[in-house]
Amino acid sequence: MTTTMNGKIRTESLSFSYGERLLLEDISVEFADQAITAITGPSGTGKSTLLTVFNRLWEEIGGGPLHGQVLLRLEGRWQDIHAPEMPVSTLRRRVGMVFQTPNPLPMSLAANLAFPLKLAGIDDKEEIAARSREALRRVHLLAEVEDRLVSDARLLSGGQQQRLCLARALMLRPEVLLLDEPTSSLDPKACAGIEELLLELKESCAIVLVSHYQDQISRIADQVYLLGERTLLRQR
Amino acid sequence: MSRLSPAERALQLTTVCCGLLVAAMLALMLVLAWPLLHSGQLLSLIGGDWQPAAGRYGIAPMLVASLLLAMVAVLLAVPLSLGTAFAAVALAPPLLRSPLMLGVRLMSGIPTVIYGFAAVFALVPLMRQWIGSGSGFTLLTAALVLAVLIAPTMIVFFVGGLRAVPQSYSLAADALGCRPVDKLLYLLLPQAAPAIAAGIVMGLGRALGDTMIGLMLAGNSAIMPESMLSTGRTLTSHIALVIAADFSSMEFKSIFACGIVLYLLTAALVAILRRALPATARP
Repeated sequence: MTTTMNGKIRTESLSFSYGERLLLEDISVEFADQAITAITGPSGTGKSTLLTVFNRLWEEIGGGPLHGQVLLRLEGRWQDIHAPEMPVSTLRRRVGMVFQTPNPLPMSLAANLAFPLKLAGIDDKEEIAARSREALRRVHLLAEVEDRLVSDARLLSGGQQQRLCLARALMLRPEVLLLDEPTSSLDPKACAGIEELLLELKESCAIVLVSHYQDQISRIADQVYLLGERTLLRQR
Repeated sequence: MSRLSPAERALQLTTVCCGLLVAAMLALMLVLAWPLLHSGQLLSLIGGDWQPAAGRYGIAPMLVASLLLAMVAVLLAVPLSLGTAFAAVALAPPLLRSPLMLGVRLMSGIPTVIYGFAAVFALVPLMRQWIGSGSGFTLLTAALVLAVLIAPTMIVFFVGGLRAVPQSYSLAADALGCRPVDKLLYLLLPQAAPAIAAGIVMGLGRALGDTMIGLMLAGNSAIMPESMLSTGRTLTSHIALVIAADFSSMEFKSIFACGIVLYLLTAALVAILRRALPATARP
């Protein structure tokens, strides 16, 4: 396939199975940088599993085997995400992910936000505090939790937890953001806020969004793919 | 008030019977040790030395040897068990994890006497060589083997605790770029802390209660141990040795005092465990 100057993720002859089921067969696609790429399709076709191909999270949940290549454009050149020089921890710090079900870690809000920075070796308290406030502000959560950053993150409401998880994913300023139905547990106001944030975020990263909501896709997506029977068809 | 089903009644009855049996054991030991306790020798029994020919039936050397042996064994077993549990849950290649746990379960099924027997021929000569004098039968020799003996119990507790951490936490950490070691240190270990504490207390209980290893490897001298390289006799070994040679003397009665001390030590451990752990983590 031909590659474009603004591609961020590319697959070449990608085939991927999950259990006994072949989800993708010989797929070559390219997702744009500074754009929102939506993946839609009927329930059970493996949209969420497909996202885990891009950060190799499938390796933790027992998917595979994977054949073909998944490439990420970093510092202007395409790099195989399975290459030895790309440690999986480094890949996942550059490719953030937010799950459909909010999954705050069993620690305080502040510790949740500091956790990815701690893993990346950033321990400057002032920097952590500044980045945490900035991330919370971007997901429209700062005003709601400013006075209880030391309380257990699991005590937040579902919507607040999801926004916290999004803020946590933003802490490392990822180059790709994988979002699995990120607004499904949010009320319409929070949902609108997140959509606004995604439009803002796409200026600095590539966003791959799995969503069922056609109206949401039509509002914010730049590219749309339909995951069907082992294929990924471009719709827009 | 709801009526109990036959199965619930049977369970309730079994619980009451178990409670009564435990209480009856204590009562029996108190009755049998009564002549010694009644003679006003309680303090000298607990704090004194063992000189039966001189009418002194103190169990202090055995008490100290038991505590030393059990605590050193646990100190040695904790890193060994934690390392094995970490490997079985996260660090070892997935294909090796099941065989590893199979090995651990097999180890827990090996009779204690086999460990002791193997150590007499494999470890004791090494200890004799390393120390440079004596027989090689020391508290340290026994502690090394006891650590291996109690490790499977601890590993099963640790692995259970680590595996009980919800997968959503684990996936969230993975997605943030957590390496296996980071995940263990920052997520799994704090979450599994109650189970780890429970495993340590259970290991300590098992180490205190074990008879065979102390009997076969610690040397059995009923004198106050000066260090882990001294010989020593544990409370359980003491009971076994005295009961094998006597059945009516004051010496014989003194072993019931040993039983009471062991009983109270174990009860104290269980009480500490119940107090220290949240209700959901209690074994």
